[in-house]
Amino acid sequence: MAKPNGARRVVVTGMGVVSPIGTTVDEFWAGMRASKSGVSAIEGFPPEDLKVLIAAQIKGFDHRARLRHFQRDKIIMHADRYSWFAAAAADEAVKMAGLNVPFDDPYRAACIIGSGAGGLVTFEKAYRDLFIENKRATHPLTLLRIIGSSASAHVGIEFGIKGPTFATCSACSTATHAIGVARDYIQHGMVDVAVCGASESVINYGTMKAWQALHVLSPEGIFPFSKKRNGTVLGEGAGILVLEELEHAKARGAKILCELVGYGMTSDAKDMVNPGIEGPREAMRLALEEAGIPGTEIEYLNAHGTATAINDENETNAIKDLYGKHAYNLAISSTKSMHGHPLGAGGGLEAVACIKAMEENWVPPTIGLDDPDPKCDLDYVPNVGRNLQVNYTMSNSFAFGGLNTALVFGPSPV
Amino acid sequence: MDEVATKIIEILKKHMKEPRDDIGLQTALTDLKIESLDLAMIVFDIEDTFGIEIPYNANEDVEDFKTVGSVVERVKSLMADGPAAAKA
Repeated sequence: MAKPNGARRVVVTGMGVVSPIGTTVDEFWAGMRASKSGVSAIEGFPPEDLKVLIAAQIKGFDHRARLRHFQRDKIIMHADRYSWFAAAAADEAVKMAGLNVPFDDPYRAACIIGSGAGGLVTFEKAYRDLFIENKRATHPLTLLRIIGSSASAHVGIEFGIKGPTFATCSACSTATHAIGVARDYIQHGMVDVAVCGASESVINYGTMKAWQALHVLSPEGIFPFSKKRNGTVLGEGAGILVLEELEHAKARGAKILCELVGYGMTSDAKDMVNPGIEGPREAMRLALEEAGIPGTEIEYLNAHGTATAINDENETNAIKDLYGKHAYNLAISSTKSMHGHPLGAGGGLEAVACIKAMEENWVPPTIGLDDPDPKCDLDYVPNVGRNLQVNYTMSNSFAFGGLNTALVFGPSPV
Repeated sequence: MDEVATKIIEILKKHMKEPRDDIGLQTALTDLKIESLDLAMIVFDIEDTFGIEIPYNANEDVEDFKTVGSVVERVKSLMADGPAAAKA
């Protein structure tokens, strides 16, 4: 059954996640249920002169165990960490969707997995080898590890996806753009299935120095909407969805998790770091408009909520501007308070949080919120999650450069 | 088999999906199911091990790499030339 305007409907049939608070959907969700923080002291490289010494790193992720069964992608074990995260999350999502591997109709499938920065850890190692260690050459796989489309290529090879396969790149909106583009391809009839989302793994000395130089990292922790917030905390991970055309999913008897009912994207076209209210508001408005529902239907909103001074106040104002009085009835949370800011992958992890909130009628909290900023006066579900009937959710992702995206998920049509 | 040959065979086995014990100097590289990416990694390992640079382009058919024995001979001649000559 198509929408009244004839558009094909797009549903979610699988999801996968690798995050600092859990490396499967179940663990990730259990982490949120427990108000778990993924932030800890930086490990894995000498901090040297870094002033910010915390991050939300994924500890104990064993790519050999998680990807051992990969059949078609022979090189995955030699890939960059960001590709491992993408592969593990995609594997979980495809298994949950119950799709045959390789895909039955490979040219009718898309694999759109973005990354804000690609294999930056590999990049740094290669340059250290060349410029500090005076090695004569980089490792032969350096290039393949670095390129920002390698995660999508690895996943496409393993699952035998032969349709549109590429990465999106829009800083912190990367995953949401990927999901939106994949949705469009299905809606417009180019493909029937898409594996989409994003992956990020950039926590190394050079990245920390670059973020430190921008003065947006907190040395203490990530406290969205709080009076004490003083910056974000870098995270890492991957969030991947399997999107599918409704009739295609029904025909193969797939379990439908929810419908992706709306998607909006705008650009501030104004400033690299100072967001406006209008751009985020319009992205949210377009997503609602496409969903064909009034704002009052949204029960839960997963905020971009980076815990920078500017973002949280601006996002609060944009929400108020769009939702009016309903802004005060919305349950809003920044799950970044728990999983940190995984940059390009953020929208992927947060889409999974939205879908789980609908599935279990429970909304995740914003932790570290004992003393809210008076300018942030909405209901951010402080510190502990709560039971709430959730039929519709919105997920916001706003990026440096003023690149705004929003998704709306609604109940399964069947 | 001399030390250079033994080391090269060790490197080849390290990069093979299913390492075999019957690799000799006459073995053709095509029989080892080595793909282009594996070859790039093998060349890198050989260069590191022997401190040489092998002029090699993945776009060209390289006569020197037809058999294990031909690789061994090429490595030995590059070692004899010394690092300076290898760069030419």
